[in-house]
Amino acid sequence: MTLDPPWRPPAWELDPSQPLYEQIAHRIRVEIAAARLPKGARLPSVRDLAASLRVTPNTVMRAYAELEQDGLLETFRGQGTFVAREPGVEARARARIARQALEHVRRVAADLGMRVEDLLRLGAEEEGGDEDARSH
Amino acid sequence: MRAAIECDRVGFAYAKRPILHEISLRIQAGEMVGLLGPNGAGKTTMLRIIAGMLRPEAGHVRVLGQAPGWRTLFHTALLPERGHLPGWLTVGEWFTHARRLYPDWSEESERRLVADLALRLDRPIARLSRGEVTRVGLVTCLARRAEVVLLDEPFTGIDPLGREIIASAMVRECGELGRTVLMATHDVRELEPLFDRVLFLKDGSIAADETADAIRARGLSVASRYREVFSP
Repeated sequence: MTLDPPWRPPAWELDPSQPLYEQIAHRIRVEIAAARLPKGARLPSVRDLAASLRVTPNTVMRAYAELEQDGLLETFRGQGTFVAREPGVEARARARIARQALEHVRRVAADLGMRVEDLLRLGAEEEGGDEDARSH
Repeated sequence: MRAAIECDRVGFAYAKRPILHEISLRIQAGEMVGLLGPNGAGKTTMLRIIAGMLRPEAGHVRVLGQAPGWRTLFHTALLPERGHLPGWLTVGEWFTHARRLYPDWSEESERRLVADLALRLDRPIARLSRGEVTRVGLVTCLARRAEVVLLDEPFTGIDPLGREIIASAMVRECGELGRTVLMATHDVRELEPLFDRVLFLKDGSIAADETADAIRARGLSVASRYREVFSP
């Protein structure tokens, strides 16, 4: 059992026009993927995280439940919620985030009526163009 | 899940002017719910009926399975919009009195709340600002271990930083016990992350009853949805 003080979340700004539990789950997933939240790290209790983010306890409970279902978190009765200790947790978090990023790019491409490859190429060209503009 | 608050076709009129009309709702234990609407929509009347301070003229109300009355006062805490606190006492004297008055009072919560909300105990209540009166009222509500908490405009006269502190304290004190919270307000933007569900009260009727997540899943904030419901 870990007796270290639980990890404290940075002051996240949540977007009120998107489900809050999804945003909280996403932020925690990013922390795990970047190994800022290492395996076995203890998360704050539902009540403490809800109080520090100023959201309802049900919102945090739902975010934790989603991450547990993904196998990123595990809860032990009476001890708390921890980052899962099994190998590959970071990789799994990263894979999920990569998939979401790709979905986002696909949506933007579809909105513009473009192919994903063309959108990415255009973006890369634009970036290169910007650097050229800056260097002059 | 158990319903903490149930209203079935509740109606109320004042001097023959209808205030509430056929209000039906169910609030689950542990839910934090916003009762939203402009001034005069009937929010305060609704809370007073649930608290057992007004008797509905039509329909039924159940709080934890009982009709509101002296019995339900033991598990219901109400923050009235305008305080009914004794002005001749200091803040500290009022809390000493409240400890004896409420059998479910927690001195530990009281200490925590007094520190977080930065209340000065030696000040007479009559000399407090509006915001300070609201804070004393909030401590009085939240230091009780009441299962049902009813808050009428909990941010009246409180500055933005104070609102953040109060929102945290509210979640901490209510989350621990899985308390049911019903908050009446027109301050939607500031309070919306604290709602699991919202009831829009328009001209004495429930115009919409939706979970905050369902609203956000459509890409709307509760504040934008409020504008949708109430703009003419």
